Amino acid sequence: MSLREMELKQEPACAPKTLGNYLWSDLPDENKWADCVHCGMCLESCPTYELTGEEQHSPRGRVHLIKSVAEGKLSVNEQFMDPVFACLDCRACTTACPADVNVGGLIEEARGQIRQAMPLTGWKGAVNKLFLQELFPHQNRLNSLGSLLKFYQKSGMQKVVRKTGLINIMPKHLVEMEAIMPKIKEPVRKKFNDADVIKAKTETKRKVAMLTGCVMDVMFSDVNEATVNVLTRNGNDVIIPRNQTCCGALHVHAGDRETGRKLAKKNIEAFKDADKVIVNAAGCGSMLKEYHELFRDDPEWHDKAFEFSQKVEDISKYLHDTGYEKPKAEMNIKMTYHDACHLAHGQGIRQEPRDILLDIPGVEMVHMPNSDRCCGSAGIYNITNPDMAGAVLESKMENVPEDVEMISMGNPGCMLQMAIGVQKYGRNQKVVHTIQLLDWAYQKEDSLKEGN
Amino acid sequence: MSKKGIQSKDPHVLNLVKIVGVDPVRKSILYKKEDLLAYDCDGFTLRKHLPRAVVFPKNTAEVAAIVTYCHENDLPFLARGAGTGLSGGAIPLNGEVIISMVRMKKLLSVDFENRRAVVEPGFVNLKLTNSISDKGYYYAPDPSSQYCCTIGGNVAENAGGAHCLKYGVTTNHILGLEVVLPNGKVIEIGKDGVPDQPGYDLLGLLTGSEGTLGIVTKITVRILKNPEGKQTVLAYFDKVADGSKAVSDIISAGIVPAALEMMDKTAIEGVEAAAFPVGHPKDIEAVLLIEVDGIAAGLDEQINQILAVCNSNNVREVKAAQSEQERAKWWANRKTGFGAMGAISPDYIVQDGVIPRSKLPEVLKRINEISEEFSLRIANIFHAGDGNLHPLVLFDARIPGESEKALEAGSLCLKACADVGGTITGEHGVGIEKREEMRFVFTDEEIIAQTEIRQVFNSKNLLNAGKLFPSPGRCVEVKNEIAAAAAK
Ligand SMILES: Cc1cc2nc3c(=O)[nH]c(=O)nc-3n(C[C@H](O)[C@H](O)[C@H](O)COP(=O)(O)OP(=O)(O)OC[C@H]3O[C@@H](n4cnc5c(N)ncnc54)[C@H](O)[C@@H]3O)c2cc1C
Ligand code: SF4
Ligand code: SF4
Repeated sequence: MSLREMELKQEPACAPKTLGNYLWSDLPDENKWADCVHCGMCLESCPTYELTGEEQHSPRGRVHLIKSVAEGKLSVNEQFMDPVFACLDCRACTTACPADVNVGGLIEEARGQIRQAMPLTGWKGAVNKLFLQELFPHQNRLNSLGSLLKFYQKSGMQKVVRKTGLINIMPKHLVEMEAIMPKIKEPVRKKFNDADVIKAKTETKRKVAMLTGCVMDVMFSDVNEATVNVLTRNGNDVIIPRNQTCCGALHVHAGDRETGRKLAKKNIEAFKDADKVIVNAAGCGSMLKEYHELFRDDPEWHDKAFEFSQKVEDISKYLHDTGYEKPKAEMNIKMTYHDACHLAHGQGIRQEPRDILLDIPGVEMVHMPNSDRCCGSAGIYNITNPDMAGAVLESKMENVPEDVEMISMGNPGCMLQMAIGVQKYGRNQKVVHTIQLLDWAYQKEDSLKEGN
Repeated sequence: MSKKGIQSKDPHVLNLVKIVGVDPVRKSILYKKEDLLAYDCDGFTLRKHLPRAVVFPKNTAEVAAIVTYCHENDLPFLARGAGTGLSGGAIPLNGEVIISMVRMKKLLSVDFENRRAVVEPGFVNLKLTNSISDKGYYYAPDPSSQYCCTIGGNVAENAGGAHCLKYGVTTNHILGLEVVLPNGKVIEIGKDGVPDQPGYDLLGLLTGSEGTLGIVTKITVRILKNPEGKQTVLAYFDKVADGSKAVSDIISAGIVPAALEMMDKTAIEGVEAAAFPVGHPKDIEAVLLIEVDGIAAGLDEQINQILAVCNSNNVREVKAAQSEQERAKWWANRKTGFGAMGAISPDYIVQDGVIPRSKLPEVLKRINEISEEFSLRIANIFHAGDGNLHPLVLFDARIPGESEKALEAGSLCLKACADVGGTITGEHGVGIEKREEMRFVFTDEEIIAQTEIRQVFNSKNLLNAGKLFPSPGRCVEVKNEIAAAAAK
């Protein structure tokens, strides 16, 4: 070994790199802002700009500020935090931007810097810790209904959870449908805990692994159940890897990229034998597809994560691409569809879920204006930015057609938020997941057959 | 989002807050550096300056009160819409108080019978068409930035668009304005939406005055009935000269297309690499997008004529849109053309020359030479019908010296346009960017005649100073000095 090589070896393993006033590890990606030509074509797509008209709350403004820190014009401080954390992470700007600037990714990276510079304290810190560290990554805790209830009472969302069983104010035929809904009390992961493979109900054509999600499996276990039903009915063997965990999206949105990476590694390992990873929560799917963004400084994991991300597919897109049996039972529902941000903007999936719904006999689809406008759910944004979240929800609800009985979507976060909206504005729509409706149609078809 | 009180020590900020009040969710004034930085430039990024503050008035009275305050206290100020301007008109060069018009964004009334609508200045261009399309009407001026830019900004810049070939630019669609003058007085021009009033044509003067004569607070616009039918054609040419000849032939055949757009090879590379690719072949030199509209019966005839013209000009491939989706896709590809440059270059400046249509091959050749001279790529997007050429100079501001080079190359492109009998702006305005280039087309006397008009309205020159005309240091004053020297 030459002297020079010796010297090199003796340098600290990872000399901390900095970029202007970004002084912490996992630096924001310069190439992301280099794409931005400051044209402003993203302004009107942004819910926070629409509400405030303030350009520091627009995608262009945010990119500009994030870049200014790297140029040394700003430092990472409270004032910088405000515009960066008021972003809903809705990705509407990514759709609007002609130059394909990844504004959302940039914002997550900037949040990573802010969180390292200014760890959360006070009640916000406590809320973040409760949700992100103590709850979501621990399936056993999530499963414990007691703690869940407490957490929902505390956050004032308890009523909303009940809303998912809207029996008393629903039109009659929906109540009937409710009657044929499978009543599931346990999370899918518990239910199928012993099964290595849930076999296809017909001949096996494909084999898929399923992400059950952390909150999804507890609060919306019926959606997971529906997903398993629909998959197995259409010739898929379903595997639910036991070591899977929370996808980490909420952590990454909150700037806690370190936990995000830990969870990502765990999931990548858990799904390493799978060829396809099916996700029914748009927020999780979007995160899984972007895992490699978390490992820009770690080539080995970056490659693994990239390979993994190629296997991830949303349930609606998967069914659309591989084909599914068209249900025969008449459902007679007048409904509308809400584009979850992380499905439409995050994954470019818009038509597939609509096609599935329209394939159900008797579904009348009413157009929702601005259907791909954020509902304000955005992880725990609700709790950290209540004023903005409330205002965003209000404008969403104004767009929900008056005369529909159901609002369908592909993301549990949106389901909660829309349920809050339905309750708050005295509406009476039922909030459902697209796949649930397909499953109900299958079930109705089966029960009619049995009845005959 | 903070509900905390105003923490500024600037007495002017505190006084301005008294005018606009405080709002629970939104800020009514910005004064912290972190917030102001988002306003240090507009779509033109080569000059930046922090404003003193940004205020958000909700109505004309508040605008008038803010302007009066600035006038009385000698504070420079300017209006800002969406900040999509491409010549730096909304950049606070002198640390202005920015009066943001974006919260005055109501559609006040629509009068279908008399075909007009009244909007507040912050109302976004495309929203007008979207709000009246179900009744079969639309607002014709369609700048490519129409998704976001404000009608107030359109009036200030006299914005044009792809469809202005047949329907005219903004000024042809403005029937009346309410304006806060730089001294805070409010006047109404084109009363009751009757534009042809006796007296001077102030409507014409104000439209296109780039925010230097007053702040527009209410606008009466003309709305049009949707054309009965529309057809769109795409044509690929191996040679620019053929494409440009086709353009001339279409016009001389007596067809007035609603739009007639051209993109060159580098521009095609950009739009194809960006968010709305169409699948244009990469090896062609020019693509033409041609749209005709009007009475459905005549359209096929026109399309056939256009196809024939293209064929006689060595077109490689020409096709008509088969569906509304296809048409929309072609237009999205074209209308996002500027932003799409981000996909092939970190920065760009867009130039905005006007040339006689027939001179296109000559001008493109010159632009090509400029591109080679400066080793900077230049893409060309062309409203071919009305001769409005947009050379986009691609550069990387991170490379020292390259911004200056780009500016110079851009200026030479404009010179090339002026040299063939054209001019230096078709629709983006002069702003900061093209002040000096005004000399390519105006004599000193002609410039002075215009600055004297500004003096009448904007006597203290507090409103958007330093825009639109060459700095007096190099025009009036130089002239005065020469005169003084001569007198000695
Ligand atoms: C991608 C892209 C494409 C574009 N395409 C076109 C095009 O096809 N055709 C075209 O003409 N332009 C185009 N532009 C330029 C720009 O969009 C237009 O000039 C538009 O009219 C500016 O509107 P704005 O609301 O953004 O105004 P701003 O940029 O905010 O302001 C522009 C000027 O208007 C003044 N101003 C704004 N509001 C008022 C008011 N209420 N009263 C008085 N003065 C005011 C400002 O002081 C400033 O001088 C494009 C820009 C971009 C970024
Ligand atoms: S993010 Fe995209 S749309 Fe927005 S200003 Fe930058 S380039 Fe334009
Ligand atoms: S992600 Fe949504 S909220 Fe954030 S900047 Fe983009 S459009 Fe605005």
